[in-house]
Amino acid sequence: MNAMKRTYFTILTVAAVAFVGCKKNLDLKPFDKLSPGTAFNTEKDLQLYANSFYNILPAGNDIVRGDALSDYLVGSTPNTYVYGTFNPTLATGWKWDDLRNVNYFLEHYQQANVTPEASAHYQGLARFFRAWFYFDMVKKFGDVPWYGKTLAVDDPDLYKGRDPRTLVMDSVLADLNYACDHIRDTKDATASQITKWVALAFKSRVCLFEGTFRKYHTELNLTSTADKWLNDAVTAADALITSKKYSLHTSTTPAADYRDLFRNENPLSDEVLLAAVNNKSLRVFNDANWYWTSATYGGRFSFIKKFINTYLKQDGTRFTDQPSYNEIPFATEVKNRDLRLQQTIRMGNYTRDGAVAPPDFTYTYTGYMPLKLTLDSKATDGVAENYNSLPLIRYAEVLLNYAEAKAELNTFASTDWDKTIKALRTRAGIANATMPTTADTYLQQNYYNDISSPVLLEIRRERGIELALEGFRYDDLKRWKAGKLLENQYDGMYVPAMNTPYDLNEDGKPDVAVVTKVPSTKVPGVYYFIIDNVQNKLSEGTKGRLIVMDNLKRSYDDYKYLYPIPYDEIVLNPALQQNPGWQ
Amino acid sequence: MKPTIFYNRRKRLNYTFRARYSSFWAPFFSSLFALLLLFHCPLSAHPFSGPEVKGKVSDEKGAPLSGVTVNVKGTSIGTTTGPDGSFTIQLPGKEATLIFSYIGYGTAELKVNGQSPVTMIMRQNDASLQNVVVIGYGTQKKVNLTGAVDQVGGEVLENRPLPNLTRGLQGVIPNLNIRMTDGKPTRGATYNVRGATSIGAGGNALVLIDGVPGDPNLINPDDVESVSVLKDAASAAIYGARGTFGVVLITTKKAPKNRTKINYSSSVSLNDRTVKPDLVTDGYNWAKTFDSAYYTWNDYKAHPQKVNSVFPFSLGYLDELKKRHDDPSLPLVDLDPVTGEYVYYGNTDWLHELYADQNPSTEQNLNVSGSSDKVSYYLSGRYMGQHGIFRYNPDQYKTYNLRANGSVQATKWLKLENDLTYSQVHYFYPLLNHPSNTPVWRRVSDEAFPIAMLKNPDGTLTQNASIVFGSFVSGNNYSDLTRQQVRNTSRFTANILPNKWRVSGDLTFMKVNETENRLYTPVPYSTKPGNMLERGESKMNQDEDKTNYLGFNIYSDYEQHFGKHYFKALVGYNYEHSLLKSLYIQRDGLINNSLPDFTLLDGQNYTLTGGGNEWTTLGGFFRFNYNFDEKYLLEINGRYDGTSKFPQDQQFGFFPSASVGWRISREAFWEKLESVIPDLKIRASYGSLGNGNISPYQFLEVMGVSKLNRVLNGVLPSSTQKPNVIPNGLTWEKATSTNLGMDMGFLNNRLTATFDWYTRYTTNMFTTGLPLPAVFGAAVPKGNYADLKTRGWEISVSWNDATNWSKPLHYNFRFTLADNVAFIEKYNNPLGLIDTYHKGQRLGDIWGFETEGLFNDADDIKGHADQSYIRVSAANTQLPGDVKFRDLNNDGVINLGNSTLDSPGDRKIIGNDQPRYLFSFTAGGEYSNFFISAFFQGVGKRDFWPGSDNALFWGAYNRPYSWHPVSVENNMWTPDNPNAYFPRLRGYVALNSRGELQVTQSRYLQNVAYVRLKNLTIGYNLPKKLVSKAGMSTARVYFTGQNIWTWSPMYRITKDLDPEVIEGSDPETNPDSGNGMAYPMLKTYTLGINLSF
Repeated sequence: MNAMKRTYFTILTVAAVAFVGCKKNLDLKPFDKLSPGTAFNTEKDLQLYANSFYNILPAGNDIVRGDALSDYLVGSTPNTYVYGTFNPTLATGWKWDDLRNVNYFLEHYQQANVTPEASAHYQGLARFFRAWFYFDMVKKFGDVPWYGKTLAVDDPDLYKGRDPRTLVMDSVLADLNYACDHIRDTKDATASQITKWVALAFKSRVCLFEGTFRKYHTELNLTSTADKWLNDAVTAADALITSKKYSLHTSTTPAADYRDLFRNENPLSDEVLLAAVNNKSLRVFNDANWYWTSATYGGRFSFIKKFINTYLKQDGTRFTDQPSYNEIPFATEVKNRDLRLQQTIRMGNYTRDGAVAPPDFTYTYTGYMPLKLTLDSKATDGVAENYNSLPLIRYAEVLLNYAEAKAELNTFASTDWDKTIKALRTRAGIANATMPTTADTYLQQNYYNDISSPVLLEIRRERGIELALEGFRYDDLKRWKAGKLLENQYDGMYVPAMNTPYDLNEDGKPDVAVVTKVPSTKVPGVYYFIIDNVQNKLSEGTKGRLIVMDNLKRSYDDYKYLYPIPYDEIVLNPALQQNPGWQ
Repeated sequence: MKPTIFYNRRKRLNYTFRARYSSFWAPFFSSLFALLLLFHCPLSAHPFSGPEVKGKVSDEKGAPLSGVTVNVKGTSIGTTTGPDGSFTIQLPGKEATLIFSYIGYGTAELKVNGQSPVTMIMRQNDASLQNVVVIGYGTQKKVNLTGAVDQVGGEVLENRPLPNLTRGLQGVIPNLNIRMTDGKPTRGATYNVRGATSIGAGGNALVLIDGVPGDPNLINPDDVESVSVLKDAASAAIYGARGTFGVVLITTKKAPKNRTKINYSSSVSLNDRTVKPDLVTDGYNWAKTFDSAYYTWNDYKAHPQKVNSVFPFSLGYLDELKKRHDDPSLPLVDLDPVTGEYVYYGNTDWLHELYADQNPSTEQNLNVSGSSDKVSYYLSGRYMGQHGIFRYNPDQYKTYNLRANGSVQATKWLKLENDLTYSQVHYFYPLLNHPSNTPVWRRVSDEAFPIAMLKNPDGTLTQNASIVFGSFVSGNNYSDLTRQQVRNTSRFTANILPNKWRVSGDLTFMKVNETENRLYTPVPYSTKPGNMLERGESKMNQDEDKTNYLGFNIYSDYEQHFGKHYFKALVGYNYEHSLLKSLYIQRDGLINNSLPDFTLLDGQNYTLTGGGNEWTTLGGFFRFNYNFDEKYLLEINGRYDGTSKFPQDQQFGFFPSASVGWRISREAFWEKLESVIPDLKIRASYGSLGNGNISPYQFLEVMGVSKLNRVLNGVLPSSTQKPNVIPNGLTWEKATSTNLGMDMGFLNNRLTATFDWYTRYTTNMFTTGLPLPAVFGAAVPKGNYADLKTRGWEISVSWNDATNWSKPLHYNFRFTLADNVAFIEKYNNPLGLIDTYHKGQRLGDIWGFETEGLFNDADDIKGHADQSYIRVSAANTQLPGDVKFRDLNNDGVINLGNSTLDSPGDRKIIGNDQPRYLFSFTAGGEYSNFFISAFFQGVGKRDFWPGSDNALFWGAYNRPYSWHPVSVENNMWTPDNPNAYFPRLRGYVALNSRGELQVTQSRYLQNVAYVRLKNLTIGYNLPKKLVSKAGMSTARVYFTGQNIWTWSPMYRITKDLDPEVIEGSDPETNPDSGNGMAYPMLKTYTLGINLSF
């Protein structure tokens, strides 16, 4: 009996094992992810994928830091690119993941069952971003390899050399043309998505860059092709201007019109085409306040006087046309200037949370302390929670692109002046903004000594002022071949005498004193700025303009227009060959 | 019937005798055997005369031990104790030594000199428990082991209140490496066996509870009978691809034979921090150093205007502070006449504000067990609660364990068993409301300055308080974590042919739910009277992980004797499936701060994600044992394993192993040595196991969907992107290990020693392939590209003895020592880059500069190599007292070269951060009714680089405004103190990249070897009479101290860091916030009672 039971038991057990043993479901797929087979079927799928392209665009913090390398700012942290210690082992930016992402899309989007119009729209989007990617690469490195496909691990093209700039930029232009023709043209009131209008504006930027770069960088031997690009810039800008979809933002408070473009949570889409949108309730922030008002977190960037001098007076005259323009105390010199000055730096009766806020030498070296991108409330000073959206492309730039391209082409007419530079100056409260007939010697001597066209000089002045801190400056210097300006001496406000506290905002309270040693009895509220006559000094010894960071030797030679390819990449693929000067 | 096991030669005879004939003639022979036993005593009685000694043997709890073998040393005279533990024995002469031996209790000796009666208390101990060792799918007699297996009994956890089992196992088994990273009561740890496993897929030891995977942090430590570690491939092979890097087998307690037992234990503890940093708390002194550190970094040109983010500072304020310092009668808080805001002149001891003066904990344990012939049961319950360390809104830890185990002998040959456990851990933990989600310690080090204060005169929080732990004070910012586990195992054991062929099977179902809720509500604070402000986010989130596990084992073993040949074979099948489902929800905007519920949130910012993963493994396994006369031992294991984690054509692998042993002490020629070394065995094993530890789905092209961190058209849309590039020809990583071991017993096995030496090659490790040019545009696919060699050894020595000082004194010592090192044998790094793995690299090597000293004077700086790579200040102007680095390659420049092995610049290997020579020392003693035990544990060698943001080590050198430890303050270079340890005071040099104290270098590398008294217990067993009056069998009280003493060579520099938990920061908030920014390690003083009925 027992033996029988045991036998049954054994049989049952063996059967159970056999049953479970056969049920070997080892092919398990993830249940929370898509795969190439499931990700490209509907228009919604294409949109889902296309959203990832937007990571190519600069984020708010990239704009905040956009001008860290420029001629008109001085900061606490010397930029190694200009201070001589830079070499290819420190080089960065040779990153290609975004391109693969676009090319992968271009290889798969046709799987989707959508209308030809939709298909072309998404192809246009992908190609717009590919153009954005390659434009960044070319600006940085010059020649780069062109890839119109994703690469396999064993693709020999991984090890190919660089393609010529002409080939790459022609491809960029082809992509942009396709984008302009096929991306949908509905204006985006949120200024966050790519539309035909954004593509046109961007095309004007790219073409102006390439045209002027080829024109001034004669060493490329491409000067003869410059005009073609400049013409494309004009065409693209003109198409946007004549569409009348955008205009310069104006309101009933002219003194705030310019600044409002940078401190609003919702981009002002009458002027802003595309922005890095920040949003308080979605908790997407930039850190402008922290960056620009912290001595340690930010770089303590301040404008130099040489640049501030270029702001016109409100009556339309040049500040630098008056004698001894370099010997006017801060509180006086900032008065009656282009309204954009008070919307770019702290001055006058600027207040924060109801209290006067003169330039704070805790954060500024020169006295010209930027406020353009920040919020006036102190609430976000120590925390990355700025919710103001920052423009990536705005109509003012398109006007400037148009003006400059036309001026470079020598086709600039007074009607062009009126609809571009004059329009900008009028918004800035400048009276008599007529087209100049004489070249400004200040600009020529201090900035662009190779330019004689009075109009072109004014266009460049305008571009510097209008787009200050928005991340254009270094690219502009590059294409104008004006990199030497990065060797500028860093000068600050005029100091009439040492050891004397000065009132910067005329509120009756002294704010700063320049000293060699902090006195034992201190005036309350005064910042004692210590100079040692090596690093920091006054231009005339015991008085004069503040000169800061003077001991740091700056150099910008022609080879620096092209950034080096990271050392490791040359080792991995010697065919890339290093840019000249960096070997 | 249960055969008594006799020691030495006799045992062997009986055992063979029994086993050999048991197959068919079992009933007959067992009767005969019983008869023999019956006649055993009289037969053994010696004819010649001497005094007769009466005596009694009991266990340490006073219970009588029956069946204890009592022999007269050097003779064949022997007897066994009766049911009441008593015995009578005839001595051959007046003086003699009695040897007592009993399974599970080892042997003990007692000298008798005519006195009678005598008493002997036998104590359960490690060495004896190891007589039978738990191995994969069975047990094995220790003497017959051929693999590297180590086991400890549950007594290592006794009288030691522990938040979880893992803490209790640290250090008790050599080369079972458990590194606790901080003192948080929820902190578990991975179980590592024998050092570095794989730099590719990784891998830890497989932890099994009664043969089924489980979380050791959710088990009641009081339920643990033994913990066994299978260290080498040969022992672990039966578990296949998941036992690649060792197996930890936790066996739980079962009911005692034929009696009912109730056990109750209770304890209360006081916990305190092991380390209490000695920081400057005087406001003026602190501010002076702060100002100075800022000033020096800024090249003596700029004084600070703020202390970090919000606290205003100026030289005028510093003067004012001095005034208050000199005249303490002045108020600590003023109002600024202009702004109307508070101005603070504090001397705040923020750590005193942060931590409670004491934090108690308690543990209650009750278990009831019993058995009859057919039925047995074991029920247990435990509560452990710990009140946390914080003064405001402190953390609370509560854990509950319930277990119900029962078995039925359904028929003569079929036994059914069921084991049901429920565990719950609940942990409440206060949170900061700060966007960077840093641990509180980091925030305190960054924003809680002695000059700042916690509260305003009107009782509101200050702004600095709102940044640091104001959220603790205001409440409603916390994490609430609950982990629940239900686990049920049903088992059967069928003796198809009694004592010969068995079939066993078990089915386990386990459900683990873990839910964490976090709530953030803005913290109110005030900067001027009557003006309340708020800081922080208003949001709530919930993170849920649900795991369903199903495991199934069926196996059968068969054993047979042929003369002196013994065979045993085991075959089995294992199937496991696990499904994890996650859910995470978050939303902003509490409508009402006092009602945290998702219904009552209306923010636009929300997140809702799911996800999870699934895996299945299955495998068939076998084990074959052979021995000849228990002298020559052989074991062969193999497993054919399949896993869902590999592509279809690679899902299965076969992994064999073999081990052999030779018990030299059983050879005839050993006869003469037997009295000195009664036991000597050498062992060797070799085996190779696949590593199935990779995370699921690695071989599939997948496209994750996630929320874009960019506002498009007013929302944060979802997005997907290009898939990963899948690896080519993925195959199993393999770990091949060789083990050589030796077991010895000396001096009648009072001294036992085990030594093992091993190497483990982990080959085909799943690592990143050869770097591709960046134009590839994706992460380089991983593949089986790298090899690793780990080698090491472990030794354990135990001494168990007893003497008689009017009453018996039992004492025992155990010492263990283990070591391992690992080398990269192959890695894709043709350039020999130092900062990534490279061939020949020893894991843990620290590359750094060699510190020559501190600069003496300007000439010293001038004459030295160019150090401009290293930064000492904003403008990088070197001064005397700054750190001087040696120009190792004599090129006149201090730099990194190409950071390759060929061109390392001025760096070299200055140390190694892997713990070496891990040791433990246990001592125990028992005399009369008292008992004492001590457990020391430590690391013999280890280097540690303090790292950036280690404010407790660097003080103002890190951030000028952070903590200023007194030990740093007194040890700074000044012209008057040129021999100080730390250089000229400069802020940020330990923080900013390339700072003179940020670069790794020899002078500031710390030796963090340590020895720690982990546990010291002193106890008293209440007198028998008293106890039995109360109806109890034993009652004891004890006092235990844990982590009460530590020493480390690092203490010469600082005592502000705990060398045991020196690395990393609180992982639940932000693990990269700087070393030491974590829940402090605790020392615990406990008073406990233990009652048995």
